Amino acid sequence: MSLAIAGMGWVTPLGTGVDSVWERLLQGEEASATTISDRCVDRVYSVFRVPELALKGISHPRLRRASAISRFAAVAGLHALQSAGIKLESQNAERIALIFAISNGGVTYTKRFYHEIVGTGAQAASPLLFPETVFNAPASHLAAILGVTGATYTLVGDGAVGLAAITMAEELMANEALDYCLVVGTEEIDWLLCDAYRRWRLLRMAPPIEPFSKQNRGMILSEGAGAIVLARGGFVTIERAHPGGHFRRRGEAEKILKRILFDLRQEEIDFIISSANGTFVDQAESQALQEVVPNALVYTGKPALGESVGGSGLWQIILAVQALRSKEIPPVLHADHSVRLRLSLLRTPMPSARRAIVLSCGLNQQAAGLRMAIQ
Amino acid sequence: MAQADRRESTNNPARVAVTAAGVISPLGIGLAETLESLRSARDCVTSVMRFSVTQCRCKTAGQVSDSRLLASYAQIPRSGRLHRASHMMIQALKELVAQQPEFEPELMVVGTTSGGMSYGERYYRSLNGAGDLRHAPTWIANYPAQKPVIDAQTAFGISAPCQVIANACASGTNAIGHAFECVRSGRYQRVLAGGYDALAEMVFVGFDSLQASTPEKCRPFDRHRSGMVLGEGAAVLALENLDLARKRGASVLAEIIGYGISTDNFHITQPEPSGIGARQAMERALESAHISAADVDYINAHGTATVFNDATEGKAITALFNGVPVSSTKSMMGHSLGAAGAIEAVVCLLALQHQFLPANINFTAPDDDLDLNIVANEARPAAVSIALSNSFGFGGTNASLIMRKFEA
Repeated sequence: MSLAIAGMGWVTPLGTGVDSVWERLLQGEEASATTISDRCVDRVYSVFRVPELALKGISHPRLRRASAISRFAAVAGLHALQSAGIKLESQNAERIALIFAISNGGVTYTKRFYHEIVGTGAQAASPLLFPETVFNAPASHLAAILGVTGATYTLVGDGAVGLAAITMAEELMANEALDYCLVVGTEEIDWLLCDAYRRWRLLRMAPPIEPFSKQNRGMILSEGAGAIVLARGGFVTIERAHPGGHFRRRGEAEKILKRILFDLRQEEIDFIISSANGTFVDQAESQALQEVVPNALVYTGKPALGESVGGSGLWQIILAVQALRSKEIPPVLHADHSVRLRLSLLRTPMPSARRAIVLSCGLNQQAAGLRMAIQ
Repeated sequence: MAQADRRESTNNPARVAVTAAGVISPLGIGLAETLESLRSARDCVTSVMRFSVTQCRCKTAGQVSDSRLLASYAQIPRSGRLHRASHMMIQALKELVAQQPEFEPELMVVGTTSGGMSYGERYYRSLNGAGDLRHAPTWIANYPAQKPVIDAQTAFGISAPCQVIANACASGTNAIGHAFECVRSGRYQRVLAGGYDALAEMVFVGFDSLQASTPEKCRPFDRHRSGMVLGEGAAVLALENLDLARKRGASVLAEIIGYGISTDNFHITQPEPSGIGARQAMERALESAHISAADVDYINAHGTATVFNDATEGKAITALFNGVPVSSTKSMMGHSLGAAGAIEAVVCLLALQHQFLPANINFTAPDDDLDLNIVANEARPAAVSIALSNSFGFGGTNASLIMRKFEA
């Protein structure tokens, strides 16, 4: 079964709205980094944040106390439904499923909640904060805003979780009682996440993200959300979602990526939306791409938008849809020119592009892929 | 995965067999110990020793003994670094693999709420001056929710894609329900499904802050119920296309025949008071199973023992069923959150296999507002052909699973 993209919504550090973010990427723009600090530890990190203006206009009682991640998800989800021309009413509220892809979840409130326990004791724990620490809080808020009464799932994983959510959407849509599936990938930034990824040697202290560099200098975290509405028919389709698998060690990532690419490969793959982000992922993807699809043009949006982990898979899909629709691809920023890949180093027209692969290698042992096509 | 072999056949759905199961919970390690605890209606809730609870109202939880849990796995390289949740998943999968060593899953779907939360707590406490950060990379690497699933697969040479569902307390039932639908649709032939969660201070204090947990005994559906106690554990089930399972001569423990999911959108922590969300989940499960409410012989209730949950679940059960025996086995082992639905599916499996009704212990007096047939305090023999298991979670997510005794 191939599902079609019926609508999309995008909240990124380059702003909100699929067309406007896409246009900025085509122009070669990248998000502005800001710094993030902690009240207890004297160390500062660079991050790509969603501008406050990007969330203007969203208000709902359920979002009054909600964390940033829930607000990003709500904006992206509502935009996606709007662009698909879907209005949810009580008659069709059961006929749409909601799937969330998340990696770190509501980490800001989680940290604040636990900070009170550590600092003051259990009696100081806030009953208002605790519900927002739960992984499915953003999905719950969006379901309530939309009035979804059917299936709602939150999937947790690493950067590949967004593509796992597409596989799950395919599985759910096998049930003909469903007309649509709204898939949302979302993440928020907190200083604690930056510190954790730095200790794990995956983060660099300041931009840029240099994709496919031999030095693996690390990534910069970003935040936001991507949402797509999947339907049974349409112009741009997901021909095949590959559930991928997991690798035990970073050095084994290349093997599973090759397997995914072999399974997804067809005669003409015009371009690849890669998940290269300046970490070990790049080497693994580079080797796999060189071996399996050496002629495909390769693009990664992470130098421009940052690594949004749980949101990144959906962002990659949106990039692929936009490239298929507009028949051009933005320039890869800060890339190592010596890499033996056909990188899109300039804004590149692709007048005959019909088919793309989205490849996602997560930082925590998971990998997945999918193949998309335009009619 | 042999994707080319996939069949999409919603019009001719496959029957779904459970061909193996593994479990670890406060009731015991393995199916045999669990069965013994269920039959003797053992209260397995004990004082919390893992972290300080001096400032909490609730002081107890259902806990898995570390000495028994960790002793078995000294042979796994670097097992000392793994989170307790990984050890629980490994233990559950070990039992399953011993029953069906040739079972090769195409997918693994697992529910959790907390992942390796206690490692996140250690990291945060150390960061704030209370400890040594040398082990921080290990804590961080073992914190993600998918890690215990991957660790368990790795321990037994399994390499299936995994979906980790975090739908709060419904996660385990959602995981098994989704896996069931994946096999029933013909998209997959063999799927592992389950759930896990390990006790963590933050979560314990969180429920305490909501005054959802009790300083007393956990008394589901009792007139004097005052809240839940937490638990921990893991359970895994092997789900398989029934025809293929029989063809290869696998023993069939039970069938899964129905699954229902609903979202009630009322409040992030409270169920919709009329019980509409719970009722919809059960109705959809009955519809999915193509059976009527009268066919159900036993309900393993979500039954957390909070005033609101039991009232809404009780209303929903009363509205749909007429005197069916109901128990909440959380009274014996606590609420293990993301693992609960999976462990309770194993409880239903044992009830179907061994023809008994598990008890709802600590039951002193019926709630006048709930017209329920509670299996009070003692397990009892009964003819059980069909069992329904409920799980409801934060965020208004509700799930029901229906299992049937296998008749060859």
